[in-house]
Amino acid sequence: MKRRDYLAGVGAVGAAGLAGCTGLIETRSVVTAPPVLEDRPDAVYFPTHVEGMSMAGMGKSEGGEYAFGLMYSYPHRFWNVNGRSVSRTDVEDGDDVHLMATVWDPETGTVLPEAGVSVEISRDGDLVSQEVIYPMLSQPMGFHYGANFGLDGDGEYTVTVSVGGVSTRRTGAFEGRFADPASADLAFDYARSARDEIAYENTPDRAGSAAAVDPMEMEMMPDSVAPAEGDLPGDVLGTTTTGDAVFVVGRLPSPPAGVDAGEDASYLYASARTPYNRMVIPAMAVEATLARDGEAVFEGGLVRTLDPEIGYHYGAAVPGVESGDELALRVPTPPQVARHEGYETAFLEMPPAEVTL
Amino acid sequence: MERGSSAYRRDVLRAAVAVGGAAGLSACLDLGGGSSVPTGPEDLSTLPGRQHAWNDRVRHDEHGNTMLPEHQTLLYLDLDGAPDADARGTVEAALRTLDRAYARDHEGLLHSMAYSPAYFGRHYEASLPADLGLPEPRPLSPFEEPEFDTQDAMLHLASDNPDVLLAAEAALTGERSTLNGVDVGAALTDVFAVADRRTGFVGAGLPASKQEGLEGVPTDGPVPEASPLFMGFKAGFAANQATEEYVTLDSGPFAGGTTKHVANIRQRLADWYGEQSFDERVMEMFSPAHAEQGLVEGVGENLGADSGIDEFVDDIEAHAREFGRVGHAQKAARANRDADGNVRLLRRHFESADDNVASLHFPSLQRDVSEFEAVREAMNGSDVPAMTPAVRQRVNNGILEYIFVKHRGNWLVPPRSLRALPTPTGEAPGL
Repeated sequence: MKRRDYLAGVGAVGAAGLAGCTGLIETRSVVTAPPVLEDRPDAVYFPTHVEGMSMAGMGKSEGGEYAFGLMYSYPHRFWNVNGRSVSRTDVEDGDDVHLMATVWDPETGTVLPEAGVSVEISRDGDLVSQEVIYPMLSQPMGFHYGANFGLDGDGEYTVTVSVGGVSTRRTGAFEGRFADPASADLAFDYARSARDEIAYENTPDRAGSAAAVDPMEMEMMPDSVAPAEGDLPGDVLGTTTTGDAVFVVGRLPSPPAGVDAGEDASYLYASARTPYNRMVIPAMAVEATLARDGEAVFEGGLVRTLDPEIGYHYGAAVPGVESGDELALRVPTPPQVARHEGYETAFLEMPPAEVTL
Repeated sequence: MERGSSAYRRDVLRAAVAVGGAAGLSACLDLGGGSSVPTGPEDLSTLPGRQHAWNDRVRHDEHGNTMLPEHQTLLYLDLDGAPDADARGTVEAALRTLDRAYARDHEGLLHSMAYSPAYFGRHYEASLPADLGLPEPRPLSPFEEPEFDTQDAMLHLASDNPDVLLAAEAALTGERSTLNGVDVGAALTDVFAVADRRTGFVGAGLPASKQEGLEGVPTDGPVPEASPLFMGFKAGFAANQATEEYVTLDSGPFAGGTTKHVANIRQRLADWYGEQSFDERVMEMFSPAHAEQGLVEGVGENLGADSGIDEFVDDIEAHAREFGRVGHAQKAARANRDADGNVRLLRRHFESADDNVASLHFPSLQRDVSEFEAVREAMNGSDVPAMTPAVRQRVNNGILEYIFVKHRGNWLVPPRSLRALPTPTGEAPGL
């Protein structure tokens, strides 16, 4: 199905990844996902099932600093990551939907990772639920904020999506932006029958394979795909991987506005993305050693940074980056984002990686 | 539950304050809830000059921690007319009625009248003293959008006896001509309209008894019977509270008064209880070291009069890196001590089930509201996510994930001599 189905308000859409697949698409009155695979690779893998999702609403904050999109699907299991520990959150009795919120900059379409997002659900003025929702990675959607919620049956709900001021370093045209909290009230017309028309497919033939569900195609809502190598600014100097995460390393001749640095500094950045889908991987701690002729010229943390051209990345001002330099990357804290199935075993064990620039 | 049983009676009494009004009061009295409470003094000069002098008039536990009155009401008030001599006389007469009707203690009635910066701005040309720390309320975290309470005045009522609270309120709103045998001098509502009425409770057993069916608390009833608060721990340990003396303005026209910040904070405790172990809750409420060293048993009764938090305020970065969590008390305490180590805030928070939603009314007394603002900023822990991505803006960052600020207001609690419609220069002309 194409993105315009969202616009037409058709309600249920399939994951674009299903296009061309021969699997059965069934209408689900009771969603019982297959068990988690017993033998999962420590890498991105194709999940046991694929769910579509449906648009619940979209809106902007007052003043237009932030745009919000809200999607929903069947409630489903996901995995929380705290430090190095991973814990599965199963569907609970009373869960009706998995809500997924995306926050982006209406000017550039940049999706904002690492914001604090909460959702308040009310109906006829009565509180139904309110939660801080967790940053999450899913294969078709990439980075978003999500949680399972119970509702009070079919009806018209108001979902207030709130974002906190972003504390991630912002650079370039983003310097000084996204500093304040904001929210938007989105109308969500929920019907169990409409939810049950959302596409759902068990994928036993592909489950566990080294692959990912294709990204959704969305015209109204940006996704969190990282820039292609050729679209990154400055010079792309090399690529390395660890824990199945891909790091594209590049250099700007001088740091973007918003980075404290001396006059002669260059800017070293690493753009982390998922394999297959190129989704941004945010919220990890990254340290780097840049060595030239066996001597370290820079050693320190790469700062989590949001830049309109590089996108979300890890970067630092360095005394210069030259071809032939050796870059060692270390990840003391893996990405602190919850994972939909297929990502929960990847991006966790992330041994040091090296790349010659 | 059988009608007439003691459990039934207890539940109705607890509900009565939230219901309020004549219905609440009659529910109390029908159940024989008419408490026999001594009247107040004839000679009002025997009452303390500080309206906020409550500590030696409430119960204390065996460790010396104050136990606030179990039932409390906040009446938010808007003036109907000008704060002239007549209006002032009416307010004073209404408050003197309370003074005379009930002993000034937890079994009788504690009360204090406070005024907003908006009151002074709306009704007077003169300004408040430049050195009085009473700003308009503002958001105090990068993720909150509260409504601001800018009503003219707020009357805080507190008693262990719900019928006392309700009867006092009935007198204040003109529904009674006598109160505990004392003639009602005037109704507060002769000059004020009640703009909002918020109620609450605090003390072991009360949150547990209120949790069933309450929005924000999981349905399996996780709040321990022994806990005075919904989150399952004691708070306000004596060593971690400012003294009344410390928070009292010591100079200026309002000397003897204090400033009061009151927030209303919605609580969402599904993940607090459902996703976290006891040790994780201890980490987030106190500090990771409190869990690691097993310092907290149950609701924290074993902590005595001191949460022991001062020992761990310098460990925040180390804890964030090692445990991926930092503690609420640990963060807040960073800003809650003066240069000599004195605690700056006197917190008097209590729980609420208003509108059937779990929330916390959070009054804090301090000499200057900026002190509260500094502690709240420290509690935000906005510096911590830069130390490790494991601690996010509101996740693993103390208790921020579970609390949502709905209201903030700043108030001046003048000394008792100026409690009736004071001018910004600290006078009460016409009284």
